[in-house]
Amino acid sequence: MSAITVLGLILLILMILVGGKAGAQSFLALLLNFGLLFLAIVLVAFHFSPLIVTLVVGLLVLALTIFMSSGDDLSSTVAFIASAVVLVALVCLIVPVEQWGLVQGFGPEDSEDLEGLSVLVGINFVQVTTATAILSTLGAIAEAAMAIAAGLSEILQQHPQVAISDLYQEGILVGKQIIGTTFNTLFFGFFGGFLALFIWFTGVHYSFGEIFNDKIFVSEILMILFAMISVILTVPITTWVMTRAVSRQRRHPVRSTDDQ
Amino acid sequence: MQFLKTRPGRIWTWVLALVLGFLLVWGTQHDAALYHDPIMRVTQVQTGRRATMTDDFHNHDTQITQKLTGVILNGQHRGRRLTISNTYSRSRAMDQRYRRGSQLFVVIHNHSRSKLTATAKDLKRDTTLVFMIWLVVALLLLILQFSGLMAFLSVAANGVLFYIAILINGSTQGAQVLWIFGSLAVVFAALTLWLVIGTNRQMLITLATTIGGTMVALVIGLLVFHFTHERGVTYESMQYVTQLPRPLFLAETLLGSLGAVMDESTDIISSLFALKRERPELTAGQVFKSGRQIGSTIMGPLINVLFFIFVADTFPMAMLFLKNGNSWGYTFTMNMSLGVVQSLISGIGIVLAVPLASYLASRFMEKRVIK
Repeated sequence: MSAITVLGLILLILMILVGGKAGAQSFLALLLNFGLLFLAIVLVAFHFSPLIVTLVVGLLVLALTIFMSSGDDLSSTVAFIASAVVLVALVCLIVPVEQWGLVQGFGPEDSEDLEGLSVLVGINFVQVTTATAILSTLGAIAEAAMAIAAGLSEILQQHPQVAISDLYQEGILVGKQIIGTTFNTLFFGFFGGFLALFIWFTGVHYSFGEIFNDKIFVSEILMILFAMISVILTVPITTWVMTRAVSRQRRHPVRSTDDQ
Repeated sequence: MQFLKTRPGRIWTWVLALVLGFLLVWGTQHDAALYHDPIMRVTQVQTGRRATMTDDFHNHDTQITQKLTGVILNGQHRGRRLTISNTYSRSRAMDQRYRRGSQLFVVIHNHSRSKLTATAKDLKRDTTLVFMIWLVVALLLLILQFSGLMAFLSVAANGVLFYIAILINGSTQGAQVLWIFGSLAVVFAALTLWLVIGTNRQMLITLATTIGGTMVALVIGLLVFHFTHERGVTYESMQYVTQLPRPLFLAETLLGSLGAVMDESTDIISSLFALKRERPELTAGQVFKSGRQIGSTIMGPLINVLFFIFVADTFPMAMLFLKNGNSWGYTFTMNMSLGVVQSLISGIGIVLAVPLASYLASRFMEKRVIK
């Protein structure tokens, strides 16, 4: 058996032991997400538009991640709507910034890996790199949206009559609690992936000026910054969607029997 | 910080942030004097010849030549005009299409007095970078105020530590990479938790969980590598490797999972402390049970966060492999398998942290939490 199979089995067993049915569901969501990511790459290789593929796959990934983990109906729905709004906002930011910074494709550092590969494949790499940046933030958006929505839904359960304006304050408060540790997840996650690249920069003695204008370096740092922006935006947007949902429920109390 | 809560305070902060952002962008557009390499600003672009090409795998692409006229902004040739020719492809994987107003680094070849000749090297990107950093900091401060500032400071402090560790690693020729980043992981975790929680019992329990979970996951990973003889772990596919790949990969995995395990144990343990404050009569067994419940809802999404960070990054290279006639299996092995292994080991750490955090919190929490 290969190392991946064994590690995957260990993860599955541990997730079932710790989380029971919810753990098994989360593992399944992880597998499906991998399938979707691979599908996105294959579709782009078949010349489908990278941006449209990313949007569709992105929405599917968000839906899978959010609805397949255990949470009440209200918070899952709010988290999904909010994360979809954040995804669209992020696309509006990433597309122009990638056009501006021109960090697409590969840099001189990649030449060894590119040996023997033809790079003139007729697919727009500005769009491919944009798609990469969007996809790499999906997990962070879903996680943050779920955390905020769950926190607010708990407050609603304890104080069902909380005023809408107070609810908004509470949402920002929940955001303040999670932002520090979420940023560290992103920082370590990304820097764990870039360690080799940074060692390369110091080993080959790049000057600071060369590093700050280097295609690969800027592209990787932009990915971290996009992920951070997506998490920051998730806080007010999720809170806003939640206040909308609650005020609508209060105006139509008859229809809100499902989550009481 | 009280001032920020008033209405004029808010408006002034917005204005200040905007002015500062404008100054930063303007400044980096006029900082060419700081650079050694000559920088040219493009004032005119003429698109020339187009050539269609087909490679061995029937991929069609177009190469376009453009003539760029511009002014040198710095160095001994400052103010001189020159025209250079640049070729780019429709896919632009390794080349650039420059526009009017672009600033780019050039290499000057000929120093004859009458005419300068040069080739385009790369785009100047510091403005984009500075603008985006400004955007993150401004949004953090405006939306999350003081907590946003602290979050940014902890990331900045970790960034500095990270840089120092890379320098130490360089001075030892990479022989000790796992030890350097292993001990650094402990410092990282302690510093971050001190900034987020402060120094108290809660912080110590969280620190112990973070280090314990990450280490155990790494040991499980190493055991699996040993018994499967590292089948399917393709170190040769690692990018940018300048030293022994195996310890480097383990150090990457260690760092990558550290943040997520820390995130999760902070969440679980702070919820449990809050629970105990509200209901001091709960027994250790009940605390453990609710810790497990909280943990099992957040572990899935967290593993997902790391999975997308580790694996989405391989998109461009994987696509290039597919377009170069490689099979799906080979493309996966050469591009994505290492990211998947990293996600799985981190995932194991994230899952193990749930019982660990619940156990440590239930046993070592003070009988009566005062605060």
